[in-house]
Amino acid sequence: MAAVRALRVAVRQRPGLGPAGLRALWGGRSRKEERAVEAAGVVPEQEERSEPSLNQPPPRRRSFVPPEDLQSCLESHVREVFGPSVPQDWQQAPLQEKRLKHRLLAGLAAELGLAVPNSQLHHMRRAGDVLGFYRSPVSGGSKMDELAAAELPPNLKIVWQQ
Amino acid sequence: MIRAGAAALRAWSRGRGWAALSTAPPAPPAVLEPRKGLSPEEPPVASPVLRSCSVPVPSPLSPVQAWVGSLRHPQDTLRGLADLHPDVFAVTPRLDILHTVATWQKNFRRISYARVRTRAEVRGGGRKPWRQKGSGRARHGSVRSPLWRGGGIAHGPRGPTSYFYMVPMRVRVLGLKVALSVKLMQDELHVVESLELPSSDPQELLELARARHWGHSVLLVDTNEFPENISAAAEGLKSITLIPALGLNVHSLLKHQTLVLTLDAVAFLEQRLLWHDSRYSPLVPFSLPHRDLPGAA
Repeated sequence: MAAVRALRVAVRQRPGLGPAGLRALWGGRSRKEERAVEAAGVVPEQEERSEPSLNQPPPRRRSFVPPEDLQSCLESHVREVFGPSVPQDWQQAPLQEKRLKHRLLAGLAAELGLAVPNSQLHHMRRAGDVLGFYRSPVSGGSKMDELAAAELPPNLKIVWQQ
Repeated sequence: MIRAGAAALRAWSRGRGWAALSTAPPAPPAVLEPRKGLSPEEPPVASPVLRSCSVPVPSPLSPVQAWVGSLRHPQDTLRGLADLHPDVFAVTPRLDILHTVATWQKNFRRISYARVRTRAEVRGGGRKPWRQKGSGRARHGSVRSPLWRGGGIAHGPRGPTSYFYMVPMRVRVLGLKVALSVKLMQDELHVVESLELPSSDPQELLELARARHWGHSVLLVDTNEFPENISAAAEGLKSITLIPALGLNVHSLLKHQTLVLTLDAVAFLEQRLLWHDSRYSPLVPFSLPHRDLPGAA
């Protein structure tokens, strides 16, 4: 009798085959734990969305304007990286070898603040291609930023929200 | 001699071990000399990480390239240069294949369990409710016909339905190649030498993704095991996902905005995806054991 009673107590203590038991079996959290976590206040991992406002936030990406001395800066970098093996026209210097290419492009990125994106890297075959890339200005903002910067009629407002 | 031996045994038992038995005088404590040459703020300039394709590139094509960075510091993005095979990372952007494979992924696992009863299965309705002629009402044969309220459904869903179908293996492989190419060409693919983080703080990982303009969702791919820091950091985050290279699929690539591959993952993918270009058609399905599958199956 005592053994049967002990067995029944043991069975009752285990979660069993109900919804709570199956949840525990598959590793989920019980409802009490979840309520405790909610009460504790889960720290939001993302930034909370800000209120919509008329003030334009700063652009995400930095804009790039090619400096005046771009050509001379590039030429000096090319001569420094290639050393004595620079061909007559420095713009024809080939960038086939990865070591030289990396050195040149990393040095230019550090100096000018803009790195060649991955999609354009395989187009950079000669120093002239690099020059052509750095000659084009890059606008920092998106289409909305350009629209906001343009002349808008007085009854058109843009509302910004992160 | 016996006394020296006894002293040595006493020293051993005190726990100094083999050092107790040596007769040389103990060495003076080492003095740390200040390092000359490098000031403590400048990190040592590492040699660039250069990776060339493990599978040879056939002659008219030339490899595409990507920067190799690391996750140790937000500005550590230009550590090296990696060559990527053009037949994996520069294929024609076939959007129809992406659609085919993504739809297949969504649907092939689907089993719809919807089932409704037809007029034969609804309880009742065996008797003709009223006589055929003379009652003034419309003629009916059963109270459970689809016309009646409470009657069966005429053309409803019938039983568990499977939507399983298979898209050829080469099309699925091409889908992966197209997805990777599209990611690279849209500047959403980044290569990293390894996924080691300085700390396991999720906020720092989010700050790193923000500083590098990676977008609102990031997919990190490595070959086998992930370092502890990044597993702990990405555990609670919803926008950053870690998957092994075997689990790479078109739906995840399209769902996440940025893809970050390690060099090992790049080599793995190139080897596995390029094998299909030059294999024989299987005489026996690949699901059965084969001796010469890639990856030493």
